[in-house]
Amino acid sequence: MSFEPKIIAFCCNWCSYAAADLAGTSRMQYPPNVRLVRVMCTGMVHPELVLNAFNQGADGIMILG
Amino acid sequence: MEITGEVGNFKIKIKEHPRYVDMDKCIACGECATKCPKKVTDSYNAGTGKRKAIYVKYPQAVPLKYQIDAENCIWLKKPGRCGACAKVCPADAIDFDAVEKIHEIDAGSVILSPGTGTFDPSDTGVYGYGEYPNVITAMQLERYLSASGPTEGHLVRPSDGKPVRKVAFLQCVGSRDKNLCGNEYCSSVCCMYAIKEAVIAKDHDPGLEASIFYMDMRTHGKEFDEYYQRARNESDVRFIRCRVNGVEPEGKDGDLRLHYVNEQGQQIEDYFDLVVLSVGLETTKQAMELAKRSGIRLTSNNFAAVSDFAPVSTSKEGVFTCGAFSGPKDIPQSVVEGSAAAAAAAKVLAPSRHQLARKKTFPEERDILAEDLRIGVFVCHCGSNIAGYVDVEAVADYSATLPGVVHVERNLFTCSQDTQDLMIKIIQENRLNRVVVAACTPRTHEQLFHETIRAAGLNEYLFEMANIRNQNSWVHTGDKTAATQKASDLTRMAVAKVTWQGPLENVVVPITRRALVIGGGISGMAAALNLANQGFPVDLIEKSKVLGGNGLHLHNTWSGENIPLRAARMVDQIMWHDLITVHKDTLVTAAEGYVGNFKSTIKSGNGSEQNIDHGVTVITTGANRLMPDEYGYRQHKNVVSALEFDKLYEIKDKHVRKGKSFVFIQCVGSRDSNHNYCSKVCCTHSVQAAIELKEEDSSRRIYILYRDMRTYGQRETLYKKARELGVVFINYELHGKPKVTKVDDILDVEVWDHVLHRPLLIHADMVILATAIIPPAGVKQLAQLYKVPLDGQGFFQEAHAKLRPVDFATDGLFVAGMAHFPKPVEESIAQALAASARAATLLSRDEMTLDGIKAEVDPECCDGCALCVDVCPYHAITLMERTGDDGQNHKLISINKAHCKGCGLCQGTCPKRGVSVAGFSLKQLESQVEAALAV
Amino acid sequence: MQKNKLVGSVLVVGGGITGMQSALDLANAGYYVYLVERSGAIGGAMAQLDKTFPTNDCSM
Repeated sequence: MSFEPKIIAFCCNWCSYAAADLAGTSRMQYPPNVRLVRVMCTGMVHPELVLNAFNQGADGIMILG
Repeated sequence: MEITGEVGNFKIKIKEHPRYVDMDKCIACGECATKCPKKVTDSYNAGTGKRKAIYVKYPQAVPLKYQIDAENCIWLKKPGRCGACAKVCPADAIDFDAVEKIHEIDAGSVILSPGTGTFDPSDTGVYGYGEYPNVITAMQLERYLSASGPTEGHLVRPSDGKPVRKVAFLQCVGSRDKNLCGNEYCSSVCCMYAIKEAVIAKDHDPGLEASIFYMDMRTHGKEFDEYYQRARNESDVRFIRCRVNGVEPEGKDGDLRLHYVNEQGQQIEDYFDLVVLSVGLETTKQAMELAKRSGIRLTSNNFAAVSDFAPVSTSKEGVFTCGAFSGPKDIPQSVVEGSAAAAAAAKVLAPSRHQLARKKTFPEERDILAEDLRIGVFVCHCGSNIAGYVDVEAVADYSATLPGVVHVERNLFTCSQDTQDLMIKIIQENRLNRVVVAACTPRTHEQLFHETIRAAGLNEYLFEMANIRNQNSWVHTGDKTAATQKASDLTRMAVAKVTWQGPLENVVVPITRRALVIGGGISGMAAALNLANQGFPVDLIEKSKVLGGNGLHLHNTWSGENIPLRAARMVDQIMWHDLITVHKDTLVTAAEGYVGNFKSTIKSGNGSEQNIDHGVTVITTGANRLMPDEYGYRQHKNVVSALEFDKLYEIKDKHVRKGKSFVFIQCVGSRDSNHNYCSKVCCTHSVQAAIELKEEDSSRRIYILYRDMRTYGQRETLYKKARELGVVFINYELHGKPKVTKVDDILDVEVWDHVLHRPLLIHADMVILATAIIPPAGVKQLAQLYKVPLDGQGFFQEAHAKLRPVDFATDGLFVAGMAHFPKPVEESIAQALAASARAATLLSRDEMTLDGIKAEVDPECCDGCALCVDVCPYHAITLMERTGDDGQNHKLISINKAHCKGCGLCQGTCPKRGVSVAGFSLKQLESQVEAALAV
Repeated sequence: MQKNKLVGSVLVVGGGITGMQSALDLANAGYYVYLVERSGAIGGAMAQLDKTFPTNDCSM
């Protein structure tokens, strides 16, 4: 079985989360491996949150803002 | 449209054209457009692409509802022939039988904002538009450069789709040219948009060569000159000062040949693969028709006629205008006027405020704190938008197994009105205390569902959305298994997050319904008068002993209205106004508080202090003139500044009266390394003064030495008139400034002549310096008192250059006039009115409600390290001390919820979990991540 | 004109950036606003622009 990475993306409500919505409106296709977590600003993403996610098995983390 | 009646009570008839799509049913899935067989040239894309006969104007359109273009629809032309859209529409929204409706509206006031059209170069033929495919308009380029445009942002030649290597922009097409296009005014915006397009095109493809052919580079707005310099120096955009006479085809490939004379006077022939016409703005036929029906007067340039002292009032009382309808203008000034028109209308209608406004009512909130977790999950099909790509039944079945979930429902359209009613019933019957909706996106629908659960008696924050459409079904259309899996995961994450969600209270802040206006110049007076006329008490602070500011020293506005006269009239109105308290010879010495609740301390020249409570603050501290130290100013008596010249002219001083030769030198102190910006008003001022001198005595020799003649907008007519009267305009560059020397009683001015290509010596009786406008002393202290920023030049920095031009980033503070940037009277007054309108949105109520997404302190964990205090961009956190149970003093932070925007920078910084944002707490985000990685 | 006949509503003709700003400010100050737009969606010319100076923000 091929490697299917699990990726967590923290997305700012005002920019990258909106961009992800727009990608949908434009029907842009991308791999289904990413799980988006909406935040009000990427500034609220605590380093611990990122480390814990790796600990729990995330293969990659994106902080988009 | 038809308007009858008068100010305060107009009756308007409006015709609504049918959309042929039921707005309440359409879910914007786009099936109809996919099936529609009729392709039409897309006017949204300025003709660069195609759309269908059933369409949405653009992907982010509001309302996001399809419409049928009756001109092109096959069925509407011949009923029975097609109807493909009606067959595929899952919501049964197509209605071919729709008819136009007439609405009759009662309104106290009317605001006309029809905007502007662009000049259509098809008719001129000169630049080959319409004949050569690679000659396009700037709006077409705008669409090519856009990621949502026909080429997804790739700049290609329309003729063969090859990437563009070399692009030329030709300025002033349809502007400043009476003969060719009939528009003698300057369109004001084209220089900036051409620079922007050139920079963006080059960002996209660094190998691209971009050249801009211009007459005068009119980058007179805030930060515009810096942008121009960056384009020239960093982005390597080429700027060539000359008017290209024609565009010719070169070879069969679509290349284009341009002939021009460069600044050294040489004939140059150059080749380009794309030529962009920087087309000007002009009033559309529809807008002219609108003006006619509304009964308002237009200028000879077909713009709505207004006064410089009432820049948004049309010739008809109670009918206002804003934006480019009253003259070409850019986005910030249009937004300013949008607010200004609101202020002007509100002044008329103040007694009827809140008369027709409606308020929603909601039932009492249920206390759920003692209840066990009872989560309801609603999975939306969104017609086939989700259900077509996700096995929604499986998602619903899976959701039912999640901890805490007691009820699961599937809906064809969860957002539809009947489902909303159903949801309320289900929440109440099942005593749900948390709700998850798995559907489209919270960005568009969260608010709706908040209201729904509020209507069911739940706290509106006991809610979470799982985005299984925009971020799932629409982006994984080819893999149903994966999309279903992801939808289940996203729902699980939402359930995990809402589990830790408690009820939140919206923050209610009381508002002191008084305004403080700082600065009693024209802007400050205009803002104070409008606010007072809307019924709000105002304290007006003036540093000097007189009101009027620079207005007392100016002469005429560009259109010839006397400024001191009008300023004096405003002073009169202010002094007699019951609601305005004037504090002259007074400074603000201390300030504290926040939106709705400011407290300022003011101190007058005699030493007395006073505290003022106010809900909003308007800063209108104006600007000063620079005292130059060049061109022999203050050494030679006949070298004077523009303002001094005005005074001498007014008192008919003999040097002016008898003078035969006058030289105006522009940009004295402006646009150099010390003051890297254009002072905006000086070109017009010098041209006006030159015209007056010439009209008085046509034998006078008058020279204006300039860098770029910036008589923008309808001021261009003055420039034209000055040239016709024989005023000599000579261009100089920053590296070749004119030299002024005194020989006996005559001033010698030496300047390089770019037409004759040799130095020119002018004997002048008087040299007039157009000196820069600079920020006044003391603004730094004021900025610190109210914690608002200044820009690099020392002017106040607005919240957003385009969209919030008179707001500060901090709520409740506004800026207007030259405190923001140098500007002429009518723009200052428009800004003052705009600030007043923005302030009135706060002052018109007793209290304001802010959402509950705010930072909260956990006193158990916060140890007062204060790391968060510095990172908070809104200055919402302060360090406090309190006495604990042990009798010891502990430090901990305190959050001002009126300031907090819920960004959570504090949460991201805190090493002790001492502060978190309600609704996005670390616990909630952790649960979400954990749920995401659980399988 | 009698004050009691004053109608507390405003008609805004044109749903571009300018008209939207007028409508929002008036509605937020307690007036009922009718916003009329010729085309099928509000947004006006600004919605056609790609990016805007100086931040190169998307115009949406």
